Amino acid sequence: MNIPLLSIVTFLPAAGALLFIFINRKQENLIRYTALFISIINFILSLFLYFNFNGQTAEPQFVEKARWIGYGIHYHIGIDGISLFLVLLTTFLMPIVILSSWNSVKDKVKEYHIFMLLLGTGIIGVFVSLNLFLFYVFWEAMLIPMYFLIGIWGGKRKIYATLKFVIFTMFGSLLMLVAIFVLYSIFYKTAGTYSLNIFDYYQLVLNPNIQIWLFLAFGLAFAIKVPMFPFHTWLPDAHVEAPTAGSVILAGVLLKMGAYGFLRFALPLFPDAAKKFIPYLAVLSLIGIIYGALMALIQKDMKSLVAYSSVSHMGLIMLAVFALNMESLEGAVYQMLNHGLSTGALFLCVGILYERAHTRLIKDYGGVSRQMPVFAALFLICMLSSVGLPGLNGFVGEILCLFGVFQSSKLLAILGVSTIILAAAYLLWMYQRVMQGPLENKKIFNFKDLSLREIGFLVPIVLLMFFMGIFPKPFLRKMDASIEHLLKQVHRAETYVVDKEAYIKPSLKISEIDINHNTKENRTETEDNE
Amino acid sequence: MNNIWTLLPILFVLTGSVLVLLLEVFLKREKKEYLGFISIIFLLLSGTSCVLFWNKGFSYFNGGLFLDRLALLLSLLFIIGTALIILISMKYLSLQNTNHGEYYSLLLFALIGILIMVSSTDLIIIFLGLEVLSMSSYALAGLKRSDKKSGEAALKYFLLGSFASAFLVYGIALLYGASKSTEIFSIMNYFQSDSTQAILVISGLGMLIIGFGFKIAIVPFHMWTPDVYEGSPTPVTAFFSVCPKAAGFAVLIRLFGPYFKQITDTKSIFMVLWLLSVLTMITGNLLALRQKNIKRILAYSSIAHAGYIMIAILAKSYYSLVFYLTVYLFMNIGAFSAVIALSKQDKEYLELDDYAGIGFRYPWIGATLSLFLLSLAGFPPTGGFLAKFYVFSEAVHKGLTPLVIIGVMASLISVFYYLRIIVYMYMREPSHSFKIYENNPALFLALFICLYGVIQLGLFPGNVLLFIKQAVASLPF
Repeated sequence: MNIPLLSIVTFLPAAGALLFIFINRKQENLIRYTALFISIINFILSLFLYFNFNGQTAEPQFVEKARWIGYGIHYHIGIDGISLFLVLLTTFLMPIVILSSWNSVKDKVKEYHIFMLLLGTGIIGVFVSLNLFLFYVFWEAMLIPMYFLIGIWGGKRKIYATLKFVIFTMFGSLLMLVAIFVLYSIFYKTAGTYSLNIFDYYQLVLNPNIQIWLFLAFGLAFAIKVPMFPFHTWLPDAHVEAPTAGSVILAGVLLKMGAYGFLRFALPLFPDAAKKFIPYLAVLSLIGIIYGALMALIQKDMKSLVAYSSVSHMGLIMLAVFALNMESLEGAVYQMLNHGLSTGALFLCVGILYERAHTRLIKDYGGVSRQMPVFAALFLICMLSSVGLPGLNGFVGEILCLFGVFQSSKLLAILGVSTIILAAAYLLWMYQRVMQGPLENKKIFNFKDLSLREIGFLVPIVLLMFFMGIFPKPFLRKMDASIEHLLKQVHRAETYVVDKEAYIKPSLKISEIDINHNTKENRTETEDNE
Repeated sequence: MNNIWTLLPILFVLTGSVLVLLLEVFLKREKKEYLGFISIIFLLLSGTSCVLFWNKGFSYFNGGLFLDRLALLLSLLFIIGTALIILISMKYLSLQNTNHGEYYSLLLFALIGILIMVSSTDLIIIFLGLEVLSMSSYALAGLKRSDKKSGEAALKYFLLGSFASAFLVYGIALLYGASKSTEIFSIMNYFQSDSTQAILVISGLGMLIIGFGFKIAIVPFHMWTPDVYEGSPTPVTAFFSVCPKAAGFAVLIRLFGPYFKQITDTKSIFMVLWLLSVLTMITGNLLALRQKNIKRILAYSSIAHAGYIMIAILAKSYYSLVFYLTVYLFMNIGAFSAVIALSKQDKEYLELDDYAGIGFRYPWIGATLSLFLLSLAGFPPTGGFLAKFYVFSEAVHKGLTPLVIIGVMASLISVFYYLRIIVYMYMREPSHSFKIYENNPALFLALFICLYGVIQLGLFPGNVLLFIKQAVASLPF
């Protein structure tokens, strides 16, 4: 079978976006249905990825390789047990967000869906790239549609929020770009050939002093994206101003790109530096957990409450990532999926309320559950999933994370538990104030319960929450081998003798099959100048 | 050795230029746009001759003028650039009631100057080319005779330009005084063997840097740029922002290539260039932040881009420099074309406020302009990203990491003002009614070519890169 399935999954949304150029902007429903259709097809295709994925091996699967520009810049994609689920999460959320903005996005419908689908391609591309250049292209290109989504369909301070989002992210990623150049150059100097292949770089043994700078550059880019304390300030602004669908994608998938970056690049590429910085990073994550939760407690706006809860939850995920053992990493990846689902769902719920009352302030609500019983039930489940109630997905992830963290540091684990306690506090308190209590605001009397469409996009999430809470095995078993391999990568540092003189061991193996034929001649000519 | 064919590309342009002047007398006012087509035909002929000479390597005037691959490639680039400028000018000139004949012929004369500049290593001949270019440029800047700003631009450009030329001549004189030659290679050979006169080569080169620094608009020789760019007719601004600048860089390749190769102690000049590059990137980008006029924003942005290109000179990576110039040509002319497209009879929309909401009113032009701006900002997958990628990665490879860090941070600043234009276009409500003149096929053709160039160079630069590398590989340094 030679169908380039992964490429299709990656580029189908973008192809759909191109198709929209030929659709008249007045046929808004046609545009909506087409976008929904494309995203559902994409989800179904990505399910094939899941079922054909072999969980026994850590090798990347569905690998596709093609010559592109040369000099190490190639089209090289594939997925392993970690990226598989992030791709699935993305394709799962895409139809949901398109469905959720059916009524809320009324003007510029065509452009909205074009940017949405382009965003889909950008995100999936980040997760599947195995070539650093390709990765960087997707990583940056994905900013553009998000910039437009927040900037055009956002709230009052949308321009401020969207520029802040782009500038913050770019600040980190440009420094990462410089680090990529350094790696590129070091690799050429040691191996004599160009490569940007991530697996070639795994074999590099770098001077620990260089590693520190490179790790800082990569780490900063990813820490901003996660966002870790103290780089989180763009997040509440972006979330509050973004349209509901934008928030869902932002919280659901975009933040995961940061954590994924740590797992795929920062930790395995620079293990020595990682070891040095992990204590500090873990403390930052812990601060993020507690700070985010405390900030969430005092928010008056539901959306910024959920946004700060994201900071807190991502803190736990990062804490687990930095614990670096089997349980913690599985928990972290699992929790990434959970967080994508539950926070995404919470944003959807806030969006549903906002569409009815056009306010997000908690004090404007009260007693909504009487008017909207179905919604109240679904909202409650989403919230409990976020809190981590046993039987729902959040529990499995959080418990794994905390088990893992406990193995490496008891203190951190004990303090980290506060994420669950505080989450229960701020979320349940919000639920109490919004959904229960006396019905004072007259507007709420006119609230209608969920429409079929709204049930249509909430119920799949809720079902998946139960499924992932009760049967985590089909998920965890597919990622075992990859995570084991990753751990080997990160811990390899101890097995090498540190060679301070050279950047690298001479016994380096090159897995890159394609060595550009005119590489050598051109390079010798420029090197003569030195 | 001496082969008259060397002059062919220049002769074609010259013929076109003179012919346009002559024909103008006989053409009726409505039909003067034909002059543009005539110019383009001659440009095509000239370009074709460049392509045909690729494997030849002619020279004339005892080596004073030659066509090596770099010269051919750059000539071709400038011919394409000028052709694009002519395409975007045709309707503009009619709408603005400017004379056609002089315009095209001056533009072609300027091109002749550039073609001479890029195909010589003799400083006197380079200077000749530069003066031909400059004289035509001064006149072009003042072409809108009824507009005071245009006159101001011309006068400023002329005064500061002649000042810079004086520096240039003085520099050449210093170098000649010591080495008894005006040819770059023999000058460098002389100073290589006689290191006692290092002070002369440093001061001579310093003067040359000032002279050319003016042409390529690097800080602190950039003061003329915003005013001249703002005052000149917009297509002329597009021309200024690309062609003379790129030609200046072409000369810098020929100047500093041998210099860095042959002279052992290049530290002081290196430091000067390093500093100029940093100053240019930072100042250009910071000043652009405060601008409200789109031509001024693009003027400062072009200053900043000169700073990035300087990095390539410091990294001695000439293929990345030429690639940057190629991409820069398409994206900058493209951006200016879009600005011209957004104008109507006798009125240009140049203030940022005018751009509010046009992204949805004119989706095609809006999207195209956004793409050019994103490319200028260096977002993938556009050509602008790859151009920066090559320059910066080569610089890191040569150990210039601090410079590259400054460079990427400067480009972060630039993201802000490029995106601000997009903010106006897409995220603000229109402030007043806005109507543009749409019957302009030549302009849209130029827009399409630029768009194609930016995307092609961003996604599949393979062949272009191959030619550039061949051209650079043929250089003796």
